[in-house]
Amino acid sequence: MTAFDYITPRPVRWPARRVSGIAILMALLAFAFLPLVLGAPDPLKQTLRLTLQPPGAADWFGYDHLGRSMYARLTAALRLSLGLASLSVITAMIPGLLLGILAAWRGGLIDRVVSGLSDTFLALPGLLLVLMLTAIVPDNAAMLYIGISLVLWVEYFRITRALARPLLNAPAVQASQLLGFGPAYIIRRHLWPEIAPMLLTIGAYGAASAIMAIAALGFVSVGVRPPTPELGSMMIELLPYYEEAPHALLQPIAVIFLLVLALQLIARKDKP
Amino acid sequence: MTPLLTVENATVESATGRIVAPVSLTLQAGRPFTILGETGSGKSLFAQAIMGLLPVGLTASGRVIIDGQVLDLADPASHRPLWGRQVGILPQEPWLALDPTMRVARQVADGHRFIRRLEAAAAMKAAADDLTALGVAGAGRKLPGELSGGMAQRVAFAAARAGGARIIIADEPTKGLDVARRDEVIALLMKEVEAGGAVLTITHDLALARQMGGDFAVMFDGSIVEQGEADMVLSAPSHDYTKQLIAADPENWNERKVPAGKRDDIVLVAEDLAKARGGRLLFSGQGLRLHKGEIVGVTGASGSGKSSLGDILLGLLKPDAGTVARALGVAPVRYQKIYQDPPSAFPGRITIGANVSDLVHLHRLDVGRIAPLMKRLKLAPELLHRLPTEVSGGELQRFALLRVLLLDPVFLFADEPTSRLDLITQQETIELLVELAREQDCAVLIVSHDTALIEKTCDRRIEIGEKGGAEASVA
Amino acid sequence: MIKAILSRLLQAVLVALLVGLLTFAMAWLLPGDVAYRIAAGRYGYDLVDTAAAAKVAAELNLDQSALTGLGWWFFDLIRLDLGASLITGAPVIEAIGRHLGHTLKLSIAAILLSLLIGPPLGILAGLHPGGWLDRSLMLVSTALRALPQFVVGLGLIIIFGLTLKLLPTAGHDHGSHLILPALTLALSLAAVSNRVARDAMVAVSRAPYYAFGRTKGLSEWQVFSRHGLRNVAVPIVTYLGIQFVSLVEGVVVVETLFAWPGIGHALVHAIFGRDVPMIQGAALVMGLMFVALNALVDTLCHLIDPRRRAA
Repeated sequence: MTAFDYITPRPVRWPARRVSGIAILMALLAFAFLPLVLGAPDPLKQTLRLTLQPPGAADWFGYDHLGRSMYARLTAALRLSLGLASLSVITAMIPGLLLGILAAWRGGLIDRVVSGLSDTFLALPGLLLVLMLTAIVPDNAAMLYIGISLVLWVEYFRITRALARPLLNAPAVQASQLLGFGPAYIIRRHLWPEIAPMLLTIGAYGAASAIMAIAALGFVSVGVRPPTPELGSMMIELLPYYEEAPHALLQPIAVIFLLVLALQLIARKDKP
Repeated sequence: MTPLLTVENATVESATGRIVAPVSLTLQAGRPFTILGETGSGKSLFAQAIMGLLPVGLTASGRVIIDGQVLDLADPASHRPLWGRQVGILPQEPWLALDPTMRVARQVADGHRFIRRLEAAAAMKAAADDLTALGVAGAGRKLPGELSGGMAQRVAFAAARAGGARIIIADEPTKGLDVARRDEVIALLMKEVEAGGAVLTITHDLALARQMGGDFAVMFDGSIVEQGEADMVLSAPSHDYTKQLIAADPENWNERKVPAGKRDDIVLVAEDLAKARGGRLLFSGQGLRLHKGEIVGVTGASGSGKSSLGDILLGLLKPDAGTVARALGVAPVRYQKIYQDPPSAFPGRITIGANVSDLVHLHRLDVGRIAPLMKRLKLAPELLHRLPTEVSGGELQRFALLRVLLLDPVFLFADEPTSRLDLITQQETIELLVELAREQDCAVLIVSHDTALIEKTCDRRIEIGEKGGAEASVA
Repeated sequence: MIKAILSRLLQAVLVALLVGLLTFAMAWLLPGDVAYRIAAGRYGYDLVDTAAAAKVAAELNLDQSALTGLGWWFFDLIRLDLGASLITGAPVIEAIGRHLGHTLKLSIAAILLSLLIGPPLGILAGLHPGGWLDRSLMLVSTALRALPQFVVGLGLIIIFGLTLKLLPTAGHDHGSHLILPALTLALSLAAVSNRVARDAMVAVSRAPYYAFGRTKGLSEWQVFSRHGLRNVAVPIVTYLGIQFVSLVEGVVVVETLFAWPGIGHALVHAIFGRDVPMIQGAALVMGLMFVALNALVDTLCHLIDPRRRAA
């Protein structure tokens, strides 16, 4: 624009932890969505002669107790978990972020009302809330999604508000206002650069807890119900066969472990 | 006179090189020793080295002789047995150095109980006696969070020497303290000296050094450049740096009063302002007329409402009573403010250049003005690529000046603009501020706790009373 | 302190409101023939008739307008009239009372066990940040936190129950039945609390007051016991409050896995059978248990931290 442009972004140096987390996540994403490109067997199709068949050269993942392809079931379950988790995280992030900034900026009644609302959601442990919502309309992934989003937005709201409040009260914002800058500038230059790194952290933790919650509900058979492939319900189904087919039980465990591990590495240790 | 502590050839080195050149000095019983230096002079590292408290990554050499005992500075662990027993270390910012969850008397009693091996009850009694002797008898049952800065300073002093230490090392004992509390700290340290102990004070505060008296050394770039009797050195400095340092003291500035010019161009009129805070009236009936190009100083004790007055004039704070009127037809952005703590006045995560560039775009300013102005402000162009935390306080304050001067201000409120800066930087900054404001015919209201600075800089002075009355006087 | 008590009371009221509202919605949305089905479950298929189904509908306030229904629903809740189980017909309050004892036993065992494992190891690691203990603890905690609680439980069952045959994996007859479920919960709690303790210890040992303790002349042990322990305990205990979320969640999963007859198990069963009064009772009691545990944390903080008493 002019000869005076200093808006060069600074290179962000991401720690090795985060990079390795992203690498694992990418690999899992590729694994989950590859069947959509290459084609895969139907995860619900039962072939009794293949029951509990161990992995072999032709099929790397083997078959479950009903002779269903573990590869097809694993990837389908992974797509379900990833999709539901990322949808919930995004749904929770937008209102959480906006309400957090609004409450910090306006204070007063708005702040008290929204903070009161977030306290209401914190009164009950998250999984209990999700559990009850899924009980209202059973066997419905939409309820799971609504419940998880309702639990997750609170964290975004609280942290955004806590970060934004001191920033908005700092001399820097007052100085910018005196210099003639408007609210859009203050959000873009003062708030966003401080809040953005935190969004990734909360997002990764939120996705991890969403995935854990989906699996936990599947495991106690009240979430996504069989025969739909889901990591938690696959484990409870395969538990009785752990001696004959340990490979089958270990597969969903390994997938969920890698997934949550990757998200934790991305989130880094310091949870704000 | 008996030497209590002797330092021989103390050095500090980091992986990249030597930070403190060999320093030798002797602390005498009953005589204070003060080392004066600015930020980065290595004075604090020197103090940490002789206490055996250097941060990881730095190594020391040389030796310290205390009471006939020779300690190798290269072996910090050997210092520990002396801590609290012979050497008492007065912490910086004592309100942070006291355990926030423990009652004050018990923290003082620790020294009596664990080092002097008194019974628990006797230790508590001794601690109570210490606190009484220091005039803070009532503090014992309190938690550190409930103490004022001055009280915390005395409690920390009592705790530091409860183990029987006769040599006190105080690193920046006035840091973060109100100027009015400085005299109390000096009295505290001098009491120890009069009792036959030794006190080594490390400071950047010229007035503190002057008042302590005794032995005196000036540290610059890791070496002691001048050493001797405090009165002698301060009245007749021989080294260039010492001369420069003393000249930078506002007491010694040249009067820079410019004859008051035309008095018709009023930029701001305030009438009958009143403000209360926390149920206490700060000022009332305060009026003020500011003319173009006029430099006005505001002084008063801390908490007297100096800054509130400036914020009211800028419309950042609502007065309880009274009115502020600006000159007609002047854009609001031409009323500006310079802040006390420069890093907190810039968006922290974008480069200074991006910030200046945003301002240029917003107001469609002439880009060609920036380079010459930066040159005037002695700011190198490459600093624009840095974040606010990556330049010095003085540089950042000059950038703050650049930012407001680009908007051709008619009124500038400078709120303690140099209280976080070193002496020499302070002088430079104030000089530039005044010079450029005069050139642009901008009125300036400077708030400072430093009466000398105001008197040497301003055309007139407003004193805000501390008793809450309307003692404002327009000179 | 009074403020803390009031806010916990408010939280308890919120829990009741939320649970009431959700369970009412659940009852309201039960499909039309559900009253009939429930009646059949209660009286047997041979005996069920329209009158019995209507009785069930009335019991659930399904025969009134939504708003009046909700009013009655909350009125019953205030009187602590939780109704009778739709499946067994027994009063919910009796069943809950029985289950609560088991859940409390499991929760207390899990908390105590986690406090024995997590904070001491964390503090030791925090005294030497970057040391071998710190690094290996970090590795183990990261791995444990990446596993859902039920997988940890599965692992323990497979190792101690099925392979080594040392411990029983289901049931509740004697003490040894408690070990595996309590250990499962404790491990996942300790995986977090040891990190909290470690970070707190690192922060405290870098605090100026810790350094001042040393330069006052105190020995390392004296500094730790005088200035370290209490200051580290404050964030650990405060964090316990946050951990209770995962404890309550864990109870649901772990009780189901180990067939432990607690509230979590009852809740899952009730949800499975759509036993609305039982869901309400179980969720209410679990929510209130969460509030009570948090109140306990408030009290502990109050006892440890003199700043709270002074304020």
